[in-house]
Amino acid sequence: MRELFPMKQVNGFIFSLLLTVVALSVYFLEMSFQAGLTILTVTAFVQAGVQLIIFMHAGEGEDKKTIYASLYYGIFLALVTVFGSLLAMVWGYL
Amino acid sequence: MKIDSTQPLEYSTEQNRLNILGFWIFLGAEIMLFATLFTSYFVYENRTGSGPGGADIFEITPVLIETILLLTSSFTIGLAIHAMRIQRTKAMLGFFAITLVLGAAFLGVEIYEFIHYYHVGATLQTSAFTGILLTTLGTHGAHVMFGLFWGIFIFIQIKKQGLTPQTANKSFIFSLYWHFLDVMWIFIFSFIYLKGMM
Repeated sequence: MRELFPMKQVNGFIFSLLLTVVALSVYFLEMSFQAGLTILTVTAFVQAGVQLIIFMHAGEGEDKKTIYASLYYGIFLALVTVFGSLLAMVWGYL
Repeated sequence: MKIDSTQPLEYSTEQNRLNILGFWIFLGAEIMLFATLFTSYFVYENRTGSGPGGADIFEITPVLIETILLLTSSFTIGLAIHAMRIQRTKAMLGFFAITLVLGAAFLGVEIYEFIHYYHVGATLQTSAFTGILLTTLGTHGAHVMFGLFWGIFIFIQIKKQGLTPQTANKSFIFSLYWHFLDVMWIFIFSFIYLKGMM
């Protein structure tokens, strides 16, 4: 039975539940919008990292470099699209 | 077909390795699909017209249940892949089944949520905000729905054929897809729901 529950994955799961609790604090506790958004950004990206590395085994296998390259490219384009659009259409620019 | 027995079953042939790499590249494109949805959501977030805003319609309880269901299912599919790697076919099928049940429960709660939105007057046509909200949630939900059927078919194949390089490869790729959906849900949970209710 024990060998079916590797420590690495159990810890990853507990850690991801903890991150969810921390993220929930922005709803249950009083805080400024900026502080809340900072917490959410940190917890969301750490959570994504936990999934990618512990559960998706992104770092194993001989195609590791190619996998990371395509991931970084996807994330880079995603951030440029989101923040570029916000800059041009919501925040305003001079 | 050359089988390399030093590798886990899902990586054991050249074709298997390339399938996994190809799927990662597909996930890169999926990141962009969700990025465009998030972009539109952030741009239209405050364009509520005469309809309700996020804080008016979001409910913490169903959102929390959905999050826990999906996080747990992501954990159990991880355990299924681990069981697969140590050749425990029965345990693997068990974890796989739990994953699919949790996924179905997630969809159930999400359908409840959509009915709730309809009743409080937040439909696809209400405002730019509700339109993009339902499109984003719906795209994620449709992915989960697709994953559910995909998973059921893989489950049946393993039951019939046992763990072969092919079925192991399919299961591993399915697990990547399922974890990816969990990651996307975390972003929806954080930047749509919690941000909206803050």
